[in-house]
Amino acid sequence: MADDRRGSAGPSKGRGSSRGDKSGRRSMYRRRKVCKFCADKIDYIDYKDVRMLTPFIPERAKILPRRISGTCATHQRKLQTAIKRARLLALIPYLTD
Amino acid sequence: MSQARQYELVYIVSPDATEQDVADLHEQVASTIARLQGELMKTENWGRRKLAYRIGKHREGTYVLEVFTGTGELTKELDRRLKVFDRVIRHLIVRVDEELRVAERTRARRQVDSDRRAARRPESARDRSADGADDSDGGDADAEVDNG
Repeated sequence: MADDRRGSAGPSKGRGSSRGDKSGRRSMYRRRKVCKFCADKIDYIDYKDVRMLTPFIPERAKILPRRISGTCATHQRKLQTAIKRARLLALIPYLTD
Repeated sequence: MSQARQYELVYIVSPDATEQDVADLHEQVASTIARLQGELMKTENWGRRKLAYRIGKHREGTYVLEVFTGTGELTKELDRRLKVFDRVIRHLIVRVDEELRVAERTRARRQVDSDRRAARRPESARDRSADGADDSDGGDADAEVDNG
């Protein structure tokens, strides 16, 4: 199940390709982004659960912005604190180069 | 104030520490919690993990999670003690009861919502199926008439 979720939650990859399509035609149908946490009914974003956080930390290890991931404001805020806590504990990196 | 505050403490022990050191450290933490009228609820040893970045000269460490209830004074004391130990290369104390309560509340609300929706849905479904049944009955009646 976890693998499955990770596959579906690769926002950086899936959305990247869709954005490519959009630039081709302006008036293309834009796929509505849905907050992953609302969809999966996750109420508490745990800073200890690295697997839950990884889809939201792309290569440079910055926090993926809402405009790309589609996360709702409430969950983005919670995600932000979770990622920052995980960073402090060296579970995920501050930056990678 | 009415309910006890719940905290999570995660600390990373230096990789050169032995199993015994880790156990001793846990014992220290547990006794501190007990001394200040806290209650240790759960302990998890995640074992040795690779760090995402270097802390000092370390590249890996042993993670230990402790969940406990207690007062702010207790967290202050724990914080002070953990800072003193050389073997602890990093620690974090987070208060979790409020967030967990919020999560619990949203889950309850969602449950109520879905129950209500479920209560509403069978009615409309029944209406539709009743219509369908009427139609099929009519069809049957027609067929019978044809047969007749």
